[in-house]
Amino acid sequence: MTSIRRKGRLAIAGVLIASALAACGDDSKSSNGGGGGGTTSGPAITLAVNPWTGSAVNAYVAKAVIEANLGAPVEIIDIDENASWVGLDDGTIDANLEIWPSGHAADYETYITGKKTVVDLGKLGPQAKIGWYVPKFVIDAHPELATWEGFKDPELAKLFATAESGDLGQFTMGDPSYVTYDEQIIQNLGLPLKYVVAGSEAALLTAIDQSIADQKPLLMQFWKPHWKQAKVDLVEVALPPITPECEASLAAADGKYACDYPVDELYKAANAGLAAKNPAVFKMLSALQLTTDQQSEIGSYIDGDGMTPDAAAKKWVDANPDVWKAWLA
Amino acid sequence: MAVSVETLPTLESDESVRARRQQRTIGLAIFAALSVGALVAAHDVPDWMDSGIQKWAQDRYKWSVVNRQSSKIFTWVFNPIADVLTWAVENTESLLLALRWPGVVALVGVIGWRTGGMRAAIAGAVALFGVGVIADWDLAMRTLAIMIVAVVIALLIGIPLGILTSRSDRVERVVRVLLDTAQVMPIFVYFSPATLFFGIQFPPAVVVTVIYALPPAVRLTNLGLRQVPVVVNEVGESFGATTLQQLFKVQLPMARRTILLGLNQVIMMAFAVVVLASLLGTGDLGREVLAALQKLEVGKAFAAGLGIVLMAVALDRISTGEKSKRHSRLATKLPTVSSRTAAMIAVAVPVLTVVVARLFDASVFPTSLHYDLATVIDDAVQWVQDNLRKGVPVIGGTQAISDFITMHLLDPLRDFLLWLPWLLVIVLAALAGWLSKGWRLSVTIALCLGLIATMGYDNKTLLWDRAMDTLSQVLVAIFISIAIALPLGMWAGRSDRVERALRPFLDGAQVLPQFVYLLPVVFLFSIGRAAGVVACVIYAVPPCIRLTSLGMREVPFAPREAAISFGATGRQEMRNVQLPLARKAILLGINQTMMMVLATVIIAALIGAGGLGLLAYRATAKAQIDFGLGTAGGLSIVLLAIMLDRLTQAWGTRSDNDRGA
Repeated sequence: MTSIRRKGRLAIAGVLIASALAACGDDSKSSNGGGGGGTTSGPAITLAVNPWTGSAVNAYVAKAVIEANLGAPVEIIDIDENASWVGLDDGTIDANLEIWPSGHAADYETYITGKKTVVDLGKLGPQAKIGWYVPKFVIDAHPELATWEGFKDPELAKLFATAESGDLGQFTMGDPSYVTYDEQIIQNLGLPLKYVVAGSEAALLTAIDQSIADQKPLLMQFWKPHWKQAKVDLVEVALPPITPECEASLAAADGKYACDYPVDELYKAANAGLAAKNPAVFKMLSALQLTTDQQSEIGSYIDGDGMTPDAAAKKWVDANPDVWKAWLA
Repeated sequence: MAVSVETLPTLESDESVRARRQQRTIGLAIFAALSVGALVAAHDVPDWMDSGIQKWAQDRYKWSVVNRQSSKIFTWVFNPIADVLTWAVENTESLLLALRWPGVVALVGVIGWRTGGMRAAIAGAVALFGVGVIADWDLAMRTLAIMIVAVVIALLIGIPLGILTSRSDRVERVVRVLLDTAQVMPIFVYFSPATLFFGIQFPPAVVVTVIYALPPAVRLTNLGLRQVPVVVNEVGESFGATTLQQLFKVQLPMARRTILLGLNQVIMMAFAVVVLASLLGTGDLGREVLAALQKLEVGKAFAAGLGIVLMAVALDRISTGEKSKRHSRLATKLPTVSSRTAAMIAVAVPVLTVVVARLFDASVFPTSLHYDLATVIDDAVQWVQDNLRKGVPVIGGTQAISDFITMHLLDPLRDFLLWLPWLLVIVLAALAGWLSKGWRLSVTIALCLGLIATMGYDNKTLLWDRAMDTLSQVLVAIFISIAIALPLGMWAGRSDRVERALRPFLDGAQVLPQFVYLLPVVFLFSIGRAAGVVACVIYAVPPCIRLTSLGMREVPFAPREAAISFGATGRQEMRNVQLPLARKAILLGINQTMMMVLATVIIAALIGAGGLGLLAYRATAKAQIDFGLGTAGGLSIVLLAIMLDRLTQAWGTRSDNDRGA
């Protein structure tokens, strides 16, 4: 009994001594994110990165510019989209540089217009668009499927049938957190389709690969910009153009929507305290804009060349000083 | 014990037999009447049954969103807790990094040596070293820091709670229901409230981990204390020990082994939530898994996932605390050391390692030691995808299996459950409960299902219908799991070679984060409910095999030998002696299978399984709109779980109760 206890105590003592030894004179990792250069000072600026490449591109470009020119260390937090709003709300996150408005109308209302703890930092630049997509081989074989009217034909719709959808064609939706009117559109246009939720973006991407490998038609909700668009040939199916009635139905949320998706103008948001915490950074982030091309160029360094987001952003920042110098003006 | 009960002829008077028959007839008549009533009543759950729980939860959520900066409960309770948790994790992390990787490995080795001898030391150190070889060491240390803080908190809360429950049956019952509910509740339901209460990053991650890690700490402390023989307590009492003295000097030391087993389980449960907790912004190894999966990089996800597994294994080995290996070959070869020398070594080795490591500035795990597991896995997955999905002789490939499961198992069962009037489902389930155990169980089951009926709607679909969808998936998954696991388990129970061959598969499949194989499952089986069922089966089969095999092995040798000496063939002996005697363990295995299936059927929503799991996921994914709906979905899963759990547990205990009565 006693011997066990004594050994336990000694082991603990050993642990403590070892840790004390390790802790003394410890210097290397107090600032995480490994700030660039020794000029950084003041409280760290935290930027959210949501789990897609574009989001990382913006944040790491901002990080490179801020650390080199505005003298504040920048910390990156990799976090789920929805959790990042809570961080913006309480100031754990200073800014999120890419928000897709369509999926976050409720958050905008709650935090930006309602509580006013979060402020809109203006447009990021890229315009995004959600829509219905099919792989190109489908259109090659059945050109009439390039518009929604082609799907009215039950025989054609049946090309998309799976074990899950039975006699109907399957319409595949990815991550349930993304905005979707697909169920309404299908019902209101009277299409012989069944709405199936894949559950995650990864599952949807797998479905695309399988569809192309097997030449088995697939109809899904997808969007631009997305890195997959550069790798596989996807064609957007034309939905009815947006009408005033559709806009009204959207505002009323009456379930009668039957048009195409509106264009998403990506925007930036910051914690309301950032303007006081670091006015220079606040100003710079407000001015920050990237075009779709710039974003995908940097994105290709990461996804294509396997660079770290940090290195990819630095490479672009070094090569394009006039772009980001305008943000500092 | 079980032997005598099972094999003795039961002696019952004619009278008790008659009374029993009469009871049975009355019971059946009651159920028949209820069934008729159910058939006459409405087919669907009526509107007035909606309890409004969705709106209630959504309103609570909204209130928290609006008031999280101003309300006292936040500024006085949640925020300080969050600060303490952040402080604890950050400092643990910097400590682990400051020790440098050789220091951490040495430390784990020494702790393992003191708690479990040389074998534990080597196993722990090698496993941790392996983390650095296949995954990112710095990220791993962050995961480890979160785990250490969560495990310590789980023990600080769990052990006292366990002591409390061991003192009072009533407290135990209440605590058990609460813990069971908390643990079966889908993790997605916790995320939004956890972030609202505790902010982002470490605090909510630790809190959610503690919720899942707490139950085994409470349960096994309680069990250990209750197992202390009465005699021992009386001896202490007669020597005039106070209650506290009794507890600390007699009971806790005697319950030590069981409590340590609890620690082990706590660690395993904690590691099971690492991957999902990274959604909250922990930026650790768990995020590596999720980020890689998001880009379909299965190999990378697998490597990071294996890193998590190895860390769990390292902690498992050094926390088991069994020095039973003292007489093993390895131990006898080593020179024995006095406790003083041992203590010196225990202190000196880590200290020296840290000093040396810091002198040589071994802050980064050497890249030359890194092994690129990702490519190997990716190639393997690609091969499997190319070769098994289609064109396999006879069975036609995984795609055909997937279609078969959907069209011939899932669809008919779901359609049948939906075709039945809802009240009839309840009556039939209650009947099953009554036949299994009696009225009490029957009422519990009816209550669980009845409460599901009060959960309201998802858009225009009743949550009841979603629950029937999920129930059909659960039943099919259990059925397939048992069909695979029972024969394998029996085989492993009779052959050491099979047992050994299966073990690595069993260990791996059970500890590997479920996410890692979700994608490969989609690769092979396409999105949909069938893929979800397969994921459930993969996760549920190992414990079922293990418990079946264990049950077979624990059958005493005497009755088996007796059977053989009477001329039974091996097969006869197995069927008539070993299997019946192992029945209880096997039924326990089925119960475990079911719990595993329920845990996975939620995550299966991420690969297209839909049902209640998808609703629960929406509590995280669209909390602003769907938190209430997600909570209702999560509660429905809890209710399904309680119902199935009690039912399968009843099968395990039935025979004893019947005959004892």
